[in-house]
Amino acid sequence: MAGVRLKDVTKRWGAVIGVHNQSLEVRDREFLVLLGPSGCGKTTTMRMIAGLEEPSEGEIWIGDRMVNDDLPKDRDVAMVFQNYGLYPHMTVRENIAYPLKVRRVPKSEWEERIDRAAARVQLGDLLERKPRELSGGQRQRVAFARATVREPKVFLMDEPLSNLDAKLRVSTRAELKHLQHELATTTIYVTHDQIEAMTLADRVAVMSDGIIQQLATPEEIYDNPANLFVAGFIGSPSMNLIAGETNNGSFLAADIELPEVGGGSRKGVVLGIRPEDLTVVEAGSGHFDAPVYATELTGEAILVTVVVGSQHVCARGPRHMRKDIGELVGIHADFSHAHLFDSATEERIARSS
Amino acid sequence: MRDRHLKYLLVLPAVVVVFATAIWPLIQSLILSFRTWKLSKSHVPGPFIGWENYSWALLEEPDFWNATVVTTVYTVLTVGCTTLIALGIALLLAPGGRLRLTVRTLLILPFAMSPALVGVSFRFMFNPEFGLFDAFFGLLIPPLAEVSWLADPTLAFAVCVMADIWGWIPFITLVLIGGIAALPKETVEAAYVDGASGFEAFRDVMLPQLAPVLAIVIILKSIFSIKTFDQIYMLTNGGPGTATQTLAHYAYFNGFKYYDMGFAASVAWIMVLPMIVLTYFYTRYVFRRG
Repeated sequence: MAGVRLKDVTKRWGAVIGVHNQSLEVRDREFLVLLGPSGCGKTTTMRMIAGLEEPSEGEIWIGDRMVNDDLPKDRDVAMVFQNYGLYPHMTVRENIAYPLKVRRVPKSEWEERIDRAAARVQLGDLLERKPRELSGGQRQRVAFARATVREPKVFLMDEPLSNLDAKLRVSTRAELKHLQHELATTTIYVTHDQIEAMTLADRVAVMSDGIIQQLATPEEIYDNPANLFVAGFIGSPSMNLIAGETNNGSFLAADIELPEVGGGSRKGVVLGIRPEDLTVVEAGSGHFDAPVYATELTGEAILVTVVVGSQHVCARGPRHMRKDIGELVGIHADFSHAHLFDSATEERIARSS
Repeated sequence: MRDRHLKYLLVLPAVVVVFATAIWPLIQSLILSFRTWKLSKSHVPGPFIGWENYSWALLEEPDFWNATVVTTVYTVLTVGCTTLIALGIALLLAPGGRLRLTVRTLLILPFAMSPALVGVSFRFMFNPEFGLFDAFFGLLIPPLAEVSWLADPTLAFAVCVMADIWGWIPFITLVLIGGIAALPKETVEAAYVDGASGFEAFRDVMLPQLAPVLAIVIILKSIFSIKTFDQIYMLTNGGPGTATQTLAHYAYFNGFKYYDMGFAASVAWIMVLPMIVLTYFYTRYVFRRG
């Protein structure tokens, strides 16, 4: 058991910067998710922790040991790869046994440990098969079993669910969460899927351009995004970001004026408000009216996109509401979860001032 | 109905060409191997003599057995050394290896040379008076300065083996680089994280996955080693004595020096036997992979 610490870690390939001066502390037994779009440096960060990439600068600590110069085998971590990384010429049993073999665990312990790891992910009757005879979901289970057959200090998981179909992904997600709880091992998990991040994580590190934009609990990230990137990245459908200005606490943008938003008087302001805080009502009875651009029925509600000035704004309506494109509707806004951002620095600004 | 005949008509030209250039000469040489034909006495093949050519080669000719031993040792050494050295170079040059050679094409240069040219250049290199290697080895290891490489049976054989390895390493290396590059990268990385050392990851994870490619390389190289001729012809011409005489060279010698065409044909057909076995395994591997 151990935490993981990154101190000012940078990874460069020539002029390309993968990870930029990154510091991060993962607590013991924590489930930390690195979340971000592709190319944001999240996988590189994980690979540096595993020892598969060398940091250009900075220190990596696992527990109370600096591991910069340690080979992957000496770091005592286990990793689950996106494409499983199973050994195709070995049976499932041999795959799971491999970490025990190369770590010189006495053979007398193998069977019990393999059976325990296999049972944990319900692999019992597949042990003599070759990986190519297994489905994607079964292969992923083998990869989990191989990672859990010994007790590593840290689990590293690189988009382990992304090759599974949507339904299997949801059920495996729940199993994974249970597994981590049971093993109580520090886990670092890389994904670009915000739902995975929200559901699995104790804390989420949202990354972009090689920099952690915000590191906080899922609730905190959802309710109080630190900047425009996090605000736009988290949530589906994503948060409406309306460019405008404030005047004495009112928010002004093309065609609309929203009173009592806060933020004093300043130019270059972006209002962030989630679709679920905007309700579609009859024209004239909301905060403002706007023509319908498109409607999408999700089942439990209807998403209505309206045009405000030159921007699209998404709002929610009751499931039975039907509106035609071009029809004028009213939008009622609940500002209790709205945010203001500085459009130049992209940072969140306090609404009370 | 017409379509069924048309497809045979369309492949007919190709079949005719293959038959005329490959199958017909093979049949002719097989027939010839059962006849006596001394080119020095007659320009037409003589009468059928059954298995006499074969029994003469196998039972009466020590030179045939000498050539068989030379060919066997030559094949084992060249196949073994070429594969091992090429594997080492391929590991260094493959993506993710320790060396980055942007001009890998340079590597192929020795392979672009014809074997006869390799033979000639090695003969010059080991020339006792002005050979580069000869002088170089003499400088490094003074006792070797007076050695006349191509005049000593064992050393001449060693030079032949060296020339062959030198000429084949590039091609085999390229094939193996391709094989290594095609390995799933995560399997090797998974081995490292699981706790394997570099050697263990190579032995337990890379090598087993590379086995099909290695098998093809070994079989292919064996076929080429067994039928080595032009390089030997230019380098030592089988000498000194018969120290470097391979079976192909022996067959050529009997055919075009002693003009014993029937006997040469029988030697050539004896050589075909191991080739058939190797070709069988080769095609099996290739088609299993495909």
